[in-house]
Amino acid sequence: MSFFGFETSRHNATGAGFSQAHDPFAGLSNRDDEGEALEFEDTYDGLGDQLDETDDAFNDDTFGGDSGPGAGPVGKDFDFFGQTSKVADAIDEEHVIFSRQQVSKPQQPPAPEYSRGQPSYQAPYGRINEPSRPARTGYEKYSQEPVGELQVDAALWGVAPKKQPAPSPAPAPAAPTRKVLSLEEVEAQMRAQRKPAQPAAPSPAPVQQPTSQAPAAAHSAHGLPIPEHVQTQPGFYNEQPRYNEPQHPHAQGHPVTILQRPQSKPTPPGQSHAQPPAHQRQPSSGPVQPTQILRNSSRLSGDAAKIGVPSHPTPPMHPQHPVHRQQGSFSHHPHMVLHPTQVAQLSEEEKAIYLEQEAKRAKRNHKIFQMSRDNGIMTPQDKNFVTRIQLQQLVTATGNPNDHGTDESFAEDFYYQVHTQIQGGQRQHPSQPLNNFAQTYLFQTGSRQGGLRRHNRGPENHMQRMEQQVQRAVEAAKNKPKNKQLVIEGSLGKISFSNAKTPKPLLNIKRNESTGDANRPGSSHKHSQAVDGRDKKSELKSIEKIYSLLMKMEDHDRVMPPPPANDSDEEGIQRFVPWRDEAEALNKQLWTALRVHDRPAQNGLHPFIALLSYSKGKKALPRIFRHTSQEQRTTILTLIVVNLDNLDVVRNAQAGNIQLNAAMRENVELFSLSVMSTLFNFMNELELDLVAGVLGLVCTRNVDVIAKSRIGASMLTMILSRAEIIKHAGTSEQSWRSWDMAYTQFFNLLEPSLPYIFPGTVTSGEDVYVWQLLAALGIGASPEQQQRLVLAVKDRVMETVSLAKTLPQDLAAQRLQNVNLFMRSIGLDVELLQ
Amino acid sequence: MAEPGDESHVAEPLDLVRLLIDEVVCVKLRGDRELKGRLHAYDSHCNLVLGDVEELIYVVDDEDADDDQIRTVSRKSDMLFVRGDSVVLISPLAQS
Repeated sequence: MSFFGFETSRHNATGAGFSQAHDPFAGLSNRDDEGEALEFEDTYDGLGDQLDETDDAFNDDTFGGDSGPGAGPVGKDFDFFGQTSKVADAIDEEHVIFSRQQVSKPQQPPAPEYSRGQPSYQAPYGRINEPSRPARTGYEKYSQEPVGELQVDAALWGVAPKKQPAPSPAPAPAAPTRKVLSLEEVEAQMRAQRKPAQPAAPSPAPVQQPTSQAPAAAHSAHGLPIPEHVQTQPGFYNEQPRYNEPQHPHAQGHPVTILQRPQSKPTPPGQSHAQPPAHQRQPSSGPVQPTQILRNSSRLSGDAAKIGVPSHPTPPMHPQHPVHRQQGSFSHHPHMVLHPTQVAQLSEEEKAIYLEQEAKRAKRNHKIFQMSRDNGIMTPQDKNFVTRIQLQQLVTATGNPNDHGTDESFAEDFYYQVHTQIQGGQRQHPSQPLNNFAQTYLFQTGSRQGGLRRHNRGPENHMQRMEQQVQRAVEAAKNKPKNKQLVIEGSLGKISFSNAKTPKPLLNIKRNESTGDANRPGSSHKHSQAVDGRDKKSELKSIEKIYSLLMKMEDHDRVMPPPPANDSDEEGIQRFVPWRDEAEALNKQLWTALRVHDRPAQNGLHPFIALLSYSKGKKALPRIFRHTSQEQRTTILTLIVVNLDNLDVVRNAQAGNIQLNAAMRENVELFSLSVMSTLFNFMNELELDLVAGVLGLVCTRNVDVIAKSRIGASMLTMILSRAEIIKHAGTSEQSWRSWDMAYTQFFNLLEPSLPYIFPGTVTSGEDVYVWQLLAALGIGASPEQQQRLVLAVKDRVMETVSLAKTLPQDLAAQRLQNVNLFMRSIGLDVELLQ
Repeated sequence: MAEPGDESHVAEPLDLVRLLIDEVVCVKLRGDRELKGRLHAYDSHCNLVLGDVEELIYVVDDEDADDDQIRTVSRKSDMLFVRGDSVVLISPLAQS
């Protein structure tokens, strides 16, 4: 915050200075009575209106037209540089002489300095008038000045306050030697001069008094309290305040110089050297201590008083401040003491007090100096810039608070969040603190500005602009998350902004919302259809989903609470009901994932049947049956039966194909292992009417295709054998009749295919399942149907029997046994044929 | 059909590999090798466990400088663990 404060105060001062450089006092008067502002209309003399800009009458005179009187050769009158250069040597000489004088006459240097400043009073301050000079004002020395020097001072004061009196005489000798003095030297000099100092000091003092007095008087009507002190005073610290005091009125012009310094950096080095020797000497010679700082401070003190700003951002000014006041407060007392001669006369006690105070002052001043070293490095614009950057970073770093959950913001800075929540209950959400901060900042700066700079129009505009910028920054940060990404038409991706919270994703491919999850299967279907008419990816996805659901359900089964023993078991019911609800929800999901009720795809393949074409789909069926209701299982069975001839294991494993490839064999094997066994178990619980219904469904399909495959044949066998078992167990007459009808229909459909349902040749020996089917058929067949059966497969039976004779005992027995399955079902035996 | 909590949603590339679990896949490896086998397991490093694998190694015979013949060496293994850093691509077996 101090930074901001600094900026504002500074800023105004400069503003005034810049705009009114020609009249340093204008700003001052302006400030004194705040009600007044310089109005352009008031000060403008209207000369501009009298200009005749349309007429070219005097152009020739000005530019040397041919016909004009000035047509002659161009003179050298304008050669200002040449003129000046002639004098340059003289100037240099003067400088040399001047500096020599200083060397020889230690006491004199101060005099020239003051006298210099005196004539125009502007010499010190007057830089304002000279564009090139202002740069050098006082600050350069600070930067040039060896820091060590000051540190030495500090040590001197701090460590050995007793030596304080020494400094007083010191200035005189110090000046001649200039910067070259080392600590030891200074101390040696001080020691040497201690005794002579007392008598010597008084004498120089009077000499200088007049000179120093004069400037002081000229500066202001305030008048110097005691001219004596100014000059003679060893501790320039005391002297300065006094010196400055008179300048207060003018002080306002000063800020300009300070602020200008940074801008005036470019001043050629030569100039800085040419600068008043007094300045250069200052570092080394105590008395000549840079007045600039002190002047500033004095001005500041005045400012601060007016502004009422407790904390002044500019470090140098601030500390200086108290010094001044303090000095002022007790200056009367120490006043007397200051004079070296007086010091000598003081009692030990007083001396001690005096020295102590001196030491304090010295420390303070040293501190001030050190802090002021970097003064003015940044222009107001620079500071403004930095401020804005900081604010923006602050705002962006915090990001949009609306975006983060409460937890996140707490994790970021827990204490601040809690604090703000405690502070203001009315803040509903975490976004508030940020805004509050920004507003607080704005408010503070605004009020400050209002109080102090009301009349400095330029700065005010500046502040306003800044406030707007801040507000905009806050706004922008708030809005940012809304459009985190910029989608440029025709681009492949998005351009996304980044901040600390949400780093920029390097790759962000926009997902087309219109083809969301719901439409995806359909849309992708089109692509895959070109290949094989199926949407393999969505099928695989369905299977994955089924598996994850199955795993969930199995997990869920594991935590099944014991079912409530009876209706009065309240607790049990309470535990069981939610579990059951959850199980039902999962079951519903699973049922959805199975896609049993989906419409067949365009190629006629039902999605659920498609799932069964995957080995993992087949493997899932037993598990699916464990987690589905009887009704659902029946539906699945029906679905499979209805699509029997669409199953890949049926369609692609026809008996006619001599050799099935390994993959299909495996497929068939897996199907019979997982699916068929599951269905078999399930079918063993079915009633006859349902079995009859299933058989009726089979009849609606291509029975020939079904029967020609091992899976199909097994399925038929399964259905028929189940019916036979139920028949033996005894059923109702009605269901028996319905079964009989279905069987007859089926037999009629199957009969033509019977000779061709055997796989491979007789020798291949893979026809067990066919004999099983025939056996199942034969058991349920009427005598007439049995006749037809025998006729249909007679050839195959005879071939097998004859083949068995050529085979080894074991194999022959096996073959014959297979055949016998059928023969016995119709009341015959292979033995009869042999 | 797509539930709100659709878990089969493809959130990362390896989710696509998951779809190929228990399917026959083609895996291309560094060093001019290809594998064809049933994908039993994978992890985020693309380490794979394949079953019934047929490995094809493409070898260029340098002996005949004139015509560098490309020879393929084939190997079969019942089960194979493939370290993921050698996997170049995994693809479902083209349906034939």
